[in-house]
Amino acid sequence: MNKAFWGLVRKEFIQVFRDRNMLRIVFAVPIIQLLLFGYVVKLDVKNIRMDVYDFDQSRLSREFVNSTSAGEYFLPTPAQIAILDLEANFQDGSRDMALIIPDGFGKGLESHQNVTIGLVADGSDANMTAIGSGYMARMAQKYARDVVNLRMPLEVKYDVLYNPEAESVYFMVPGIVATLLTMVTIMLTSMAIVRERESGTLEQLLVTPISSTTLLFGKVFPFAVLGLFEMTVALVVGVLWFDIPFVGSPVLLFGLSALYLLTTLGLGLFFSTVTSTQQQAMFFAWFFSVFAILTSGFFTPVWNMPKWLQYVTYVNPMRFFMNIVRGIMMKGAGVTHLLPDIYTLAIFGVIVFGFSAARFSKRAR
Amino acid sequence: MNAGNAVVIDNLSRHFRSFKAVDRISLEVRTGETFGFLGANGAGKTTTIRMLCGLLSPTSGTGTVAGFDINRQAEEIKKSIGYMSQKFSLYPDLTGKENLSFYGAAYGLTRQEVRERTAELTDRLSLGDFIDRLTKSLPVGWRQRLALGVSLLHRPRILFLDEPTSGVDPVFRRKFWQILYELAEEGVTVFVTTHYMDEAEYCGRISIMHQGRIVEAGQPYELIRKHRSENLEELFIDLIKNRETLNAEA
Amino acid sequence: MQKLRFLAQKEFRHILRDPRSLVIVVVMPIMMTFLYGYAISLDVDNIVIGVIDYDRTDESQQLIDRFYNSAYFSKPDVNSESTDPETWLLSSEAKAVMIIKPGFAGSLRERSDFSLGMIVDGSDNTVAAAVQNYASAVVSKYALDQIPVGRDIPGITISTQVLYNPDLESSHFFVPGLVAIILMMISALLTSITIAREKETGTMEQLLTAPVTPVQIIIGKILPYVGLALLDGILVLVFAKIVFGVPFVGSYLLLLAFGLIYVSAALSIGILISSLVKTQQVAMMFALVTTLLPSVMLSGLVFAIRNMPPVLQGLAQIVPAKYFVTVIRGIMLKGAGLGTLALNGLALLLLMAFLMTVAARKFNTRID
Repeated sequence: MNKAFWGLVRKEFIQVFRDRNMLRIVFAVPIIQLLLFGYVVKLDVKNIRMDVYDFDQSRLSREFVNSTSAGEYFLPTPAQIAILDLEANFQDGSRDMALIIPDGFGKGLESHQNVTIGLVADGSDANMTAIGSGYMARMAQKYARDVVNLRMPLEVKYDVLYNPEAESVYFMVPGIVATLLTMVTIMLTSMAIVRERESGTLEQLLVTPISSTTLLFGKVFPFAVLGLFEMTVALVVGVLWFDIPFVGSPVLLFGLSALYLLTTLGLGLFFSTVTSTQQQAMFFAWFFSVFAILTSGFFTPVWNMPKWLQYVTYVNPMRFFMNIVRGIMMKGAGVTHLLPDIYTLAIFGVIVFGFSAARFSKRAR
Repeated sequence: MNAGNAVVIDNLSRHFRSFKAVDRISLEVRTGETFGFLGANGAGKTTTIRMLCGLLSPTSGTGTVAGFDINRQAEEIKKSIGYMSQKFSLYPDLTGKENLSFYGAAYGLTRQEVRERTAELTDRLSLGDFIDRLTKSLPVGWRQRLALGVSLLHRPRILFLDEPTSGVDPVFRRKFWQILYELAEEGVTVFVTTHYMDEAEYCGRISIMHQGRIVEAGQPYELIRKHRSENLEELFIDLIKNRETLNAEA
Repeated sequence: MQKLRFLAQKEFRHILRDPRSLVIVVVMPIMMTFLYGYAISLDVDNIVIGVIDYDRTDESQQLIDRFYNSAYFSKPDVNSESTDPETWLLSSEAKAVMIIKPGFAGSLRERSDFSLGMIVDGSDNTVAAAVQNYASAVVSKYALDQIPVGRDIPGITISTQVLYNPDLESSHFFVPGLVAIILMMISALLTSITIAREKETGTMEQLLTAPVTPVQIIIGKILPYVGLALLDGILVLVFAKIVFGVPFVGSYLLLLAFGLIYVSAALSIGILISSLVKTQQVAMMFALVTTLLPSVMLSGLVFAIRNMPPVLQGLAQIVPAKYFVTVIRGIMLKGAGLGTLALNGLALLLLMAFLMTVAARKFNTRID
């Protein structure tokens, strides 16, 4: 039944290339998503807008304020409003922190005393506050020691591997690659099958001698190809536009992506068996994607979530794939390092695809 | 099994939960016959056809199509039948030619065969240039002809047509039936449902279905004579009315 | 008025009978509240850090204990005696590995220089930054404690005052902002779909042949959604309060006023979209791309606008959700009043006026 299989595949491609909406999903969406996410999704705390109230106005106080602007962590600006009104700038969201340097700061430091400065933070952004005040503490300590030339006998030498430039994009792009592959294959597969049912062509297909296995593979294969194509587009744009280093083996990445596709195509199949219109299918696929993305560790690490939510993430196949993509692309991880993820994905694939295929074939009979 | 029969059904039923869509019907269709399957909307015609084509499995009863058992040999049946559903079932975003070549592949035809038969069918169904247009841009009548073309592609011995002419103008319907006659002359068995009574008169034999049961069967003119009706339309309405009064009394 | 009531009633029936819109109206807000409240916690703690201790002295053990007793770090699950730290990072068993070379205790006693090695998994730059911050803090605290008392060390003590959210709960930051997303989704997405549906099924034509004016039709159609949007907004706020304990410091009335301006802007977008498209499918795609995507990405809800490239920062200025997110955080968490929010309010009003004018224009020319 080779002929029927290739017939299905060819037909599916003709349909995709003739549908403007599909074309948009396949070509425009990945690039827009990549650019938008690449530029927007930055969770590192930088550019903290900080009002400075310098009541000391000494050489040391000015030097200290200047030193805080190193490394783009803080954007110190002299405060324009009275200290009693400082909250107003927090309330309308135009400042994140305020630094208060009391009179006597410079003199105190010069006479080897301990001086106290004030830091007011808009705590509503908890992350910014925690990380930002950490930075400030480090900078203040360092400055105090530099003033008196005190050398700490014990220091930590950091050796940051994989992304020493600390670029957010390097971390996000592999995530987007995983996201795209997931969303596109689930959405397109479920919609394409439901469309056949909606238009009555599925019934016409079922009276032909095509076996349900051929039908199944003929329907999912084109979307596996498209999904991998999307991934390639995202990778190429990521490497060429954002200069992402690709450390590991592309072959391994594509091989494991194929393994992961078993699960996403299975999910697409499954959604097609529980919906009756393309809109519903799209809706289901979209709904699932939102859940999958948020619990995959894409934005925030899984181990940082509450315990119960961490257990929930175990039913999210994307979580494991995310780890694989980042591991291979950023760290050059090999099969041995990714074994637990690979096993899990294999189990997911067999169960999800097997179950959905059985369900699909049963309905097709 | 009788070699002269294309379709044999014995006590066939299909229930959807407690609803009896098809209730113990029996019938025979001889090879080469044009058989009209009549009934009001919801009488169970489509369900019956779907069981015969292997799309639905029967709740009980037996039957054969082209000599193959509908309960066990659905795959064999599919190779010998053509099917055209009441729903328009071609890919709207493919051209006529692309639809034909796709279904050709589905039936396992070679490229050569597909090319030959496409040419042959284009000629026979007078599809002309329409075959290169996107199917969704075709007028309804042309689409129906194209759908017929698809169901004839693999030269089936039996053709199941489920209300093939609904929504088509009279000129097209006439043309459509001419094609069906030609097919019947070539020995193709045509099993067609319709609710146009003038079309039913073209059939060699008809059966009338009502609420899942066959209430009458035979040659159109014999039935008119038997029930002393003016025409098929009157016969149909009378039969259904009778049934309903019987039901009401019971 | 009578006509309006019937139109609105019909609309409510549509909503109640369409499982999809029910999902958007009921399930979505709850799911999003939970996911944003729990899943997007950006505070990094319990970072798994492995230690390879070649010194094996009381001092080195003390330092290790300092690490694991702090709230920031925790032990790896598998205490693999692997000597290759990179394997830990590659298999994601640890985010960093500290290496204490032999001679640690000795140089502490002799006050000679010593450097601890720390190999950090930099792939997630946020986590890597946190590791460095926290580890340095732990180590220098330990070092200072080794210096005998009595010696004068100058230092800068920071007295930090955290306003509004002293417990630094991430959910307090994300959940109120969600209201902006949900109001946008219902007002823009659902209205554009529902008007497109009337066009698609031909009922719009039917309605227009009846003696109702286009304005009445539109008002009748959107009123139920305004009601639903407000209900959903309240639902999220109640959830925020009960589940996440988010306080409400400011004025309810002020928030309601801003909410109405925002919803009007969102509805105008919805009507505008529906007058540009013909089918529900396209309306949905259009609405997702032009409203939901910017509202999530460019509003400052999760990702700080100040970190974006200038082009996107500029684009963010015309995203209504940007202003509403600021306003709702200001009112709920910081108790901001009208005075401090005036600029945001003005921007929102201008956007609304602009969108309404365009929507009204487009709509009138489409239906004649």
